[in-house]
Amino acid sequence: MMKFTASQKALALIFSFGLVAGCSSTGDTMGEDGMESAPGSESTSGQESGSTVFGGEDGSGVSSSEMTEQQRQEAEARAERAQAEAMREITTFYFDFDTAEIKQEARDVLVAHARFLRANPGQDVRIEGHADERGTKGYNLALGERRANAVQSFLVVNGAARGQTETVSYGEEKPAVMSSGESAWAQNRRVELIFQ
Amino acid sequence: MKNRSNPSGPRHALLVVMMLSLFAAPVLGDELLIRITQGADAAIPISVVPFSESGQMPQGDKISRIVQSDLAMSGEFNPLAPEKMLSLPSEGSEVFFRDWRLLGQRYVLVGQVNSAGGTLQAQYELYDVSQEKRLVGATASAPVSASRSLAHHISDRVYEAITGVPGAFSTKLAYVTLERRADGSLYRLQVSDVDGKRARVRLESDEPILSPAWSPDAKKLAYVSFETGKPAIYVHELSSGERQRVADFQGLNSAPAWSDDGRSLLMTLSKDGNAEIYRMSLANGDLKRLTDHWSIDTEPAYDHTGEGFFFTSDRSGGPQVYHQASDSAGPRRITFGGRYNAAPRADSSGDYVYYVHQRAGAFHIARTHLETGTETVLTRTESDESPSISPNGRMLIYATESGGNSVLTVIAVDGGAAYSLPASRGDVRDPTWSPIVQ
Amino acid sequence: MIGHERDTGDKAQAPWKSPVALSVFLHGLILVVALAGWSWTSPDNPPPPSISARLVTLAEPEPSPVVDTVDEPDRDQQRQKAQEEEQRRQEQEAERRRQEEARAEEARQLQQQKEQERKEQAEAEREREQQRIREQQAAKEKAEAEAKERARQKAEAERREQEAARQAAEEKRRAEEEQRRQEEARKQREEQERLEAERKRKERERQLRESQLQALAQEAAEQREAEERRHQEAAAARARQAQMLAESEKYRALIRDRLMKAWYPPASATSEMSTTLQITLLPTGELASVTTVSGSGNTAFDNSAISAASSVGRYPVPEDQQLFEQYFRRFPIEFNPENMQ
Repeated sequence: MMKFTASQKALALIFSFGLVAGCSSTGDTMGEDGMESAPGSESTSGQESGSTVFGGEDGSGVSSSEMTEQQRQEAEARAERAQAEAMREITTFYFDFDTAEIKQEARDVLVAHARFLRANPGQDVRIEGHADERGTKGYNLALGERRANAVQSFLVVNGAARGQTETVSYGEEKPAVMSSGESAWAQNRRVELIFQ
Repeated sequence: MKNRSNPSGPRHALLVVMMLSLFAAPVLGDELLIRITQGADAAIPISVVPFSESGQMPQGDKISRIVQSDLAMSGEFNPLAPEKMLSLPSEGSEVFFRDWRLLGQRYVLVGQVNSAGGTLQAQYELYDVSQEKRLVGATASAPVSASRSLAHHISDRVYEAITGVPGAFSTKLAYVTLERRADGSLYRLQVSDVDGKRARVRLESDEPILSPAWSPDAKKLAYVSFETGKPAIYVHELSSGERQRVADFQGLNSAPAWSDDGRSLLMTLSKDGNAEIYRMSLANGDLKRLTDHWSIDTEPAYDHTGEGFFFTSDRSGGPQVYHQASDSAGPRRITFGGRYNAAPRADSSGDYVYYVHQRAGAFHIARTHLETGTETVLTRTESDESPSISPNGRMLIYATESGGNSVLTVIAVDGGAAYSLPASRGDVRDPTWSPIVQ
Repeated sequence: MIGHERDTGDKAQAPWKSPVALSVFLHGLILVVALAGWSWTSPDNPPPPSISARLVTLAEPEPSPVVDTVDEPDRDQQRQKAQEEEQRRQEQEAERRRQEEARAEEARQLQQQKEQERKEQAEAEREREQQRIREQQAAKEKAEAEAKERARQKAEAERREQEAARQAAEEKRRAEEEQRRQEEARKQREEQERLEAERKRKERERQLRESQLQALAQEAAEQREAEERRHQEAAAARARQAQMLAESEKYRALIRDRLMKAWYPPASATSEMSTTLQITLLPTGELASVTTVSGSGNTAFDNSAISAASSVGRYPVPEDQQLFEQYFRRFPIEFNPENMQ
């Protein structure tokens, strides 16, 4: 959900006019990438990979080895973006019993989320912390909050703005899996990112 | 003539007798004192004889049945099943003590109930079988609609006559039930009798309700509700249904605990960065911060003085129970057994603190004797939570898992036989015991 | 902004692929799209998600039970008391009647006695009169007799005197002779006696010495025997006492065990509470009485102790009567819990 004031939109419109005016038609990669946002919102050229290759097809004095390099970089960029997108599909992070320590495998994913958030300052995220059913409700409520806060800190350190994040703890009240046992408990000790 | 240097005959004999009596005195004592330093570690056998009835009796449990259940619930009595009684007296002249001695009974309660003009009147007598002496004899009456209250009143009197401690059977419980349905969860905040009967719903919500707490005058409940999407603390007046949202700060608003004068609440807030304990004055909302540590500090509960409080903190690495004697005092760690000790509750005598204790992967209710530091595990069930002490300090209620659901269980405060309250639909959790009010 | 290298090479392209046309088209598209989606006002902050929580108000106020408590007197006790009253009254009645009768009897007897006395007195009076007459008679007779007797005696006396004087002279002659003979015999006897006495004295002395020695020896022997006996008795007494003590210990332990199993200390008991009872038993071990020597101050605790002691039907006691009397006829029990943690 985007919240932009009228003046912001006007500015963006003017800028994009300027940009588009300065672009050549052969840069048709720009058009594609620029249109991925929802209609009614503005696109910027601040893209992840930031490498638009021009003039590759004409072979105008550029050596064949350079073109391969550029192609390779382009491919790399696409791959990275794809990887980042795939990682950002992961929005639930798990914890060990009675700890708010972020696991190693979660870090890369969270970095991807953080970068995404930085790239999309209009994007907000709700961070919901949970605990498994064992132990006491009061302590679990605080534990869930600590986990949510840990994830929040991590995102902020890696580029997100604090204002984009909101934390809530549900303690043991909203388990993902409604049974008992190690497997269920492991799945309930989590933080969920809800993008809004 | 032979010369004798020793004293002559009679004096010598006297000396010998004196010497003998010196070391024979304790042996010759005719009084031996027998010291009894401990008793039977069992519940007292008592017979609650079904009361004789006249007039139109109300529907539902018989008064003597309710008394029997109350006494069994306390964990301190072992009531005899009426089928085993050899006779069914309803007044003193019909009690043949020999019969009850044969059955190994110590006390017999007999009585008559009669109903007339919308009023129930019960005449009851409590006899000590060994001494063949009457301990209590009284008449009590109540409107027919309050027959359960009448029964609980009798339980209180019987309990007090035998143990010397006021009964807590006329008090109330507040708790939360959770029903998971296909279209979502339904939480209900309820108030019931101590035996779970006459339950009335006070609040219904699709979002969690947690940790209800009774005000000292038993007229209000403070609790945590997620109805706005995040936890906030409410104070709810029971008779009028009026509610006030008293704490809705950023982050946590949880674990409310009333002061003895009912004018302030201890609570856990994380608005200043992490979970800390505050006191809020209910008159003006003023806050005073009482803990200051980067760890989690939560679940405050006043001690028996009403000045200091116990709380859970994980400042040592995992949750443990701490005590702070006053606003300015530093906290003192109380529990040292195991990695997880939380949700402390004090008793009114100041001897013990009760809490949830993890041992070998299971969560039990345990208590620590404050003077000696001795820890005792009280329960055999393994997923225990939310202990609450009865106002007479003799019973403990807590929530535990049974058959996939959370149920409420009562035990005597020394541990022992557990008495489960009849289970309702879904989960029952967060029980809290009301104070005794006259 | 990213700077781009531009390639300005000429290419043969279809009219719609002409750069200019494409550019214009794209610009137009942007304009249209932008304007279509333009919102001319700043959006409000969306309202918070509404999650309903429903208050459940009470249909009716809770009934406040009116619970009156009136302590009833023990009817049993009352009846007993009334009976006792009645009995006592009856007894009093009977007593009064008895007393009345006794008084009447007494009066009758007194009357009889007086009658008797009067009769007797009249009798006595008559007797005395007769006696006086008889005495007067007797006195007269006696006087006459005495006079006759005196005359006779005088004549007799004179005759005897004469006789006596003649005999006296005869006596004197014989006496003198006798005296001389006796004097000689006496002297001989005295001599013999002296010798005899001497001999006897020596004999007595010897015997005395002997008996003294014997007595001493006897005394010593007796003393030794007495001491021996005393030692044995003392040892026997000690042994007996020790055995009795051991026996009593055994029964003490049995009693303690029974009472421990029978005592249900109330939940509020502390290790400061202590109640001491005095138990009196019959030789069979049955309880005769329980009395409180000192209480704990806590009624429930005291009652629990009394109940425990009263509940034991038969106390284990020794068969030996002496042991029973000494230790188990009457003894104290103290109830004092330890380690109430």
